[in-house]
Amino acid sequence: MAATEAILTMENIDKTFPGVHALDHVHFDVRSGEVHALMGENGAGKSTLMKVLTGIYSKDSGTITYEGKEVEYHNTREAQDAGIVIVHQELNMVGDLTVAQNIFIGREFMKGFRIDDKKMIEESRKLFEELKIDINPRDKMSDLTVGKQQMCEIAKAISHQAKVIIFDEPSAALTEKEIEDLFLIIRDLRAKGLAIVYISHRMDEIKVITDRVTVMRDGGYVGTLITKDCTKDDIINMMVGRVIYEEPKTESHVPKDAPVVLKVEHLNAGRMVQDVSFELRKGEILGFSGLMGAGRTETARALFGADPKTGGDIYVNGEKVTINSPQDAVKHGIGYLSEDRKRFGIVVQKTITENSTLASMENYMNGPFIDKAAEKEVTEKYIKELSTKTPGADQLVVNLSGGNQQKVVIAKWLVRNCDILIFDEPTRGIDVGAKNEIYKLMNRLTAEGKSIIMISSEMTEILRMSDRIVIMCEGKKTGELDISEATQEKIMTKATRDIS
Amino acid sequence: MEKFKQIPLVKKLGFNRVILFCVLILMYVAFSLMVPGFFGKARIMSVMNYVYFLGFLSLGVTFVIATGGIDFSIGPVMFCCGLISGYTMVFKGAPVIVSIIMSIIIGFLFGMFNGYLVSYWTIPPFIVSMASMNIAKGIAAVYTKTQSVSWPLSTDPVNGWFRSLLTSNGFPVGLVIFLIAAFVCMTVLNNTKPGRYILCLGSNREAVRLSGVDIRKWEMLAYVICGTLVGIAAIFFVGAYTTVQPGYGDQYNNEAIAGCVMGGTSMAGGLASIGGTVIGVLIISLLQEGILALGFAKDIQLIVTGLIVIVVVYADVMARRRKN
Amino acid sequence: MTKKKSILADQRVIVCLVIAALVIIYFIFSPEFRQYSSILSMLDFSYYDILMAIGVTFPLITAGVDLSIGTGMVCYALIAGRLIRDFNLPVVLAMLLCVLMGCVVGFANGFLIGVMNLPPFLATLCTCMITRGIGSMIMATPWPTNKQPGGWFHSIFKLTFGTGRSATKIPIGFVLVVLLVILMEFVLNHTKFGRYTIAIGSNKEAVILSGINVKFYHVMAYVICGCFAGLAAVAYAAVVPTIQPGTGAGLELDAIGGVFVGGVSARGGYGSVLGTLAGVMVIVLLKTGLPYVGLQANWQQIITGMVLIGAVMIDVAKRRRMAKEQ
Repeated sequence: MAATEAILTMENIDKTFPGVHALDHVHFDVRSGEVHALMGENGAGKSTLMKVLTGIYSKDSGTITYEGKEVEYHNTREAQDAGIVIVHQELNMVGDLTVAQNIFIGREFMKGFRIDDKKMIEESRKLFEELKIDINPRDKMSDLTVGKQQMCEIAKAISHQAKVIIFDEPSAALTEKEIEDLFLIIRDLRAKGLAIVYISHRMDEIKVITDRVTVMRDGGYVGTLITKDCTKDDIINMMVGRVIYEEPKTESHVPKDAPVVLKVEHLNAGRMVQDVSFELRKGEILGFSGLMGAGRTETARALFGADPKTGGDIYVNGEKVTINSPQDAVKHGIGYLSEDRKRFGIVVQKTITENSTLASMENYMNGPFIDKAAEKEVTEKYIKELSTKTPGADQLVVNLSGGNQQKVVIAKWLVRNCDILIFDEPTRGIDVGAKNEIYKLMNRLTAEGKSIIMISSEMTEILRMSDRIVIMCEGKKTGELDISEATQEKIMTKATRDIS
Repeated sequence: MEKFKQIPLVKKLGFNRVILFCVLILMYVAFSLMVPGFFGKARIMSVMNYVYFLGFLSLGVTFVIATGGIDFSIGPVMFCCGLISGYTMVFKGAPVIVSIIMSIIIGFLFGMFNGYLVSYWTIPPFIVSMASMNIAKGIAAVYTKTQSVSWPLSTDPVNGWFRSLLTSNGFPVGLVIFLIAAFVCMTVLNNTKPGRYILCLGSNREAVRLSGVDIRKWEMLAYVICGTLVGIAAIFFVGAYTTVQPGYGDQYNNEAIAGCVMGGTSMAGGLASIGGTVIGVLIISLLQEGILALGFAKDIQLIVTGLIVIVVVYADVMARRRKN
Repeated sequence: MTKKKSILADQRVIVCLVIAALVIIYFIFSPEFRQYSSILSMLDFSYYDILMAIGVTFPLITAGVDLSIGTGMVCYALIAGRLIRDFNLPVVLAMLLCVLMGCVVGFANGFLIGVMNLPPFLATLCTCMITRGIGSMIMATPWPTNKQPGGWFHSIFKLTFGTGRSATKIPIGFVLVVLLVILMEFVLNHTKFGRYTIAIGSNKEAVILSGINVKFYHVMAYVICGCFAGLAAVAYAAVVPTIQPGTGAGLELDAIGGVFVGGVSARGGYGSVLGTLAGVMVIVLLKTGLPYVGLQANWQQIITGMVLIGAVMIDVAKRRRMAKEQ
């Protein structure tokens, strides 16, 4: 890597939100023709930094130098026009418009009053040819797969004549094949002399694709490394500030003759759940591994009755049951902790008490009225047991941190006394300390005889927690491993198995 | 100001409600100063006539707004109730008690209709409101052959007794009934399972559904409660104003929603205050009486409530944005 | 991924079949309907509905609504009519004034919704009440009749040759309205304004992030709607002999119902002005045709309400089926 001048330098960037010092004198630079990774835990300030760069937030102090001049952008449009483009983590596509219309939204080719759709389609086609992607620009956006939508985002970014492209966790929703395609494109762009900022959590990718790594922690700048000169552990240490030991489980804690509490046979629900069968034993943590979009969440939701299913039998404690709605599932002692707590888990504007008893109101009634004393008592009991950090049971859930919100959701199902719990990405968006607490809690629950299905995209989490692992790929179950025989490589091969 | 907020009584009642109550008192004082003879029992009784029916409408719509929905068919549905049951009494000879029950049942049925479409069919509430508003007007017009209906006066020996539901020998019976109804609504909303579910689903319906709660049932219930209260409102409307005319009633939608939102119920759902609604209704009723007393045309009321709703809802939008 | 769609899958085709069926039923059962004058009068009363519907298509595509068009239309017609009567305002200026007032109210709606972020139904419910309140304060007003000075504006909608019973009348208004529909269909599909209107209804966040001035286009959707409500006021004045103050509530339902029948999705993001035209014609046929088959006019409100619910139910059912296939 020739030490060329940096095309973009951010120096001493400082930003404070009410109550949070989001960016603390951060330094970051990127050169033409390099891929520079920006890493850090959730909430480390990576996205905030990029939002300051592209003008979504304004900085409190510091300087941004771009192509030798000090600049400040007030909105994404200005940054785009200057050649700094961001490919967002969440897809920002208009589903009802076509691919070409999306790529050129906001800067349509015009013929007088008329939008020149023909030219837009032509230009899109050229772009896709250049990127070697097979997408028809006339297709409606909502008809494409998530991976292809992501490719369109990239095509859109490139079409801006960008000099700096920021990828914000681009691989989160892609299959292995699509990630490979993505890397080809990125290498191609690098060869053309573009500067690329790559934000990701996936350590393996960082090693493969990037030239330098900058690590952030708690809004502060930690350091920059040359990728090929450092090890994975170096980066992790910088990210967490200490070495963490995540010993994988070596063997299952569940006795061989433990009774089967849940048996699912030939579950079907649309494209994402095809003929899935598995068993869950008492006291077991059954890990569900796979890439994003493998159909794990969909399987859980179909099992729980949250989404309609087209076929399949479910047995709870050996008895065949009908589950057509979450009510049925809850009645049979199944609880579901969603990956998206804010949307599906908690009622944020209500108190901890109201959330805790939500699934089991009928047990806290005094005639027609709610027995508020009993309600408070049980809530406080679980606040203590789960060591939820809160001033009191009357606290609104919105004021709690992610980890404590998760505990409120867990409390909801414990109050209900559910024996089967489905944890969907239980530690997403939770900081390291709280993560360990959640792990301990899960182990305690299984020791108490509860059974857990754990869906997780973090390999370390799967290997550390599960007794048995089910692997899914593109809506199908592709394998099942006992923890004693499971390795990262074995799981990955099954998770990316080519089904065609 | 911060200190004032910390006073235990203020805290218990809610800061906004205390302020709202002060506004009410100030308005009364202001009108009394501006209009000679405003101060006095006659005016208060006249305001009360408005409070009764508007109060029931507002209480009803509070439940619907708490779910995050809306119902602006309430005014025309109230007229539909008053027209059909009144027509049955006046032209078909039904006793007044039958008419009263009929009115409540019609309201209940409209609530069922709206609630079913909103919760089981997931049709946007404003579309359902729009449709049922016109259906209500249409049914009433067809049934009464577009005649207006006058309910019996208190001098009517057989059916006149129903007027004593509002006032009896100068005693405001209606106020007592309204306050009891408000108290019941408050208890239902804050201390019973349906109320808890209605508020929670207004705040985050998916989370409530995934907790194993049949949200469709409880959402529908909110509309049914609303419809039933609208049926009761119809009785108080004819008790106060005697005549109902087919094809009208929409002007009361806004006033009911204004009273409710002004009292601190959030249009986004999940947050409702019955106490606030009661004060809101008092303010709106006093306002319309004041506007008439100041010599303005009745139609000014439409414009004024329209503006009030805009301001109040904007305040609600801003408050929510600050929180996030 | 892309499936071959049968022609019947397009709601607009089905709506056209419904129109044909209704016309055939009326023709068979009602001798009066077969007369040219009946058809003429039906068309006369359809123009203001169609004009309102063209306009309100745009807010509905943004997943909003405009409830103020009915009362607004009556209010503009009343004010302009009063000015013609009392101040001898030339009719052409009165017509412009109607459109201008429509744009102003539309702008107010757009500002409340697009800039101040009020819920669309609530904001427009308020302007509905406000325009109705203003309209109520004005005396009932007839615009000039055919024979009075200024009566020429009737010819925009209906050309009359000769006098009395032997007069030949040509409904050129329909041609004009169809031209407007085609124009607005073009605007919707081939201009920035139309494109962004659809995009706002589909995914507003994405549009904001594309650096588009979303507020401007969101407000514009309501201004266009108001502008067409203003045009509708002229059409309304041409057919209603004396406009009554305080009326107009409920007229928006015919237009909005027509738009939904025409296939605009209740969740926004999709729509077509041609579909709107077809949808409104269904509503118009129902409301003006019912008396011909022996139902009293008041049934129309009930039936329009039901048709509205039915149309949205079809949309919901379609979405559910799509979700299931995913």
